[in-house]
Amino acid sequence: MKKNIVMPRLREEMRSGVLCAWLKEEGEAYQKGEPIFEIETDKVVNQVEAAADGVMLRQLVEEGDEVPAEAAVAEVEE
Amino acid sequence: MSAARKPDWLKVPYNRDAVNEVAEMMRSLKLNTVCNSANCPNLGECYQKHTATFMILGSRCTRNCRFCNVTHFHPEPVDPDEPENLAAAAKRLGLRHVVITQVTRDDLPDGGAGQFAACLNRLHEVCPGATVEVLISDMKGDRACLDTVMAAGPDVLNHNVETVPELYAAVRPQAVYERSLEVLRYCKQVRPEARTKTGFMVGLGETEDQIARLMDDVLATGCDILTIGQYLQPSPQHYPLARYVTPEEFARYKELALSKGFKYVASAPLVRSSYRAAEALEA
Repeated sequence: MKKNIVMPRLREEMRSGVLCAWLKEEGEAYQKGEPIFEIETDKVVNQVEAAADGVMLRQLVEEGDEVPAEAAVAEVEE
Repeated sequence: MSAARKPDWLKVPYNRDAVNEVAEMMRSLKLNTVCNSANCPNLGECYQKHTATFMILGSRCTRNCRFCNVTHFHPEPVDPDEPENLAAAAKRLGLRHVVITQVTRDDLPDGGAGQFAACLNRLHEVCPGATVEVLISDMKGDRACLDTVMAAGPDVLNHNVETVPELYAAVRPQAVYERSLEVLRYCKQVRPEARTKTGFMVGLGETEDQIARLMDDVLATGCDILTIGQYLQPSPQHYPLARYVTPEEFARYKELALSKGFKYVASAPLVRSSYRAAEALEA
């Protein structure tokens, strides 16, 4: 099923996050639990894990983009 | 701040579903965690493992340490339901080792000691098999307050010295290094069967000689457990990061502390005072 994955709200106060790296290319398959992209915060870099097995269909933002929390960052098939 | 500046050892996993499950439970019970308030880098790992460190006495601190992400503002009223809710959460999470910390409450006559005791007492009733670690403020060094906490029977008394004394004025301006040492010394004295524990950050600009002296000072209080972790600057407004300390240097600090006589030492970039705290007690 086609769906969007979003910029997670890492903390309640978080308004946006910087997607600093894609770890899966468009067309690449991934498994549940594999990191699929990275978010930079002031303290660390969070590697966001896939919630289910899937395929990266389309990246909607570029590396380095600041994205509002809960906004879509990619289209995936899961 | 660019990603290129952060070393690879500061990459941490984040599982949204696991984080949301624990976060939602805490919200429903009106509980705070230092994991969330301090923007802890290990939150994703710990919540996924169903562990958390409860932060009692509100979410606002009466001190304004320059390294800390906890909000500094007028404190909230003490919640009389907090001990009950905390014990319920610990039971629901199935915690074998419960860690409770606090915002510093210099406004309260007992510094929050009574609430600690109430939480300990309720935990002992609701989770009789669990061990409890309390991570306390210095409570202004008031012995009556410390007596109240220790009489409630914590298995581990943790109070962080946070940094070397040479940096106190800049980093912990409302704290006193000697007073923190005295807290550790006194708590060990009144309840020797409890383990005492402290931690400090590196990467604030301290020297290795200063670190070695700090270890000697802490060990002289009878302290059993030491934690050493990387300072991570919460925001551009906080105390500036001096440098990232390498994992190899952390390993050297651990060897140094063990050679001096500490019983257990956790030393790594992402070590926090309550990170995998149960392991120190089991060691």
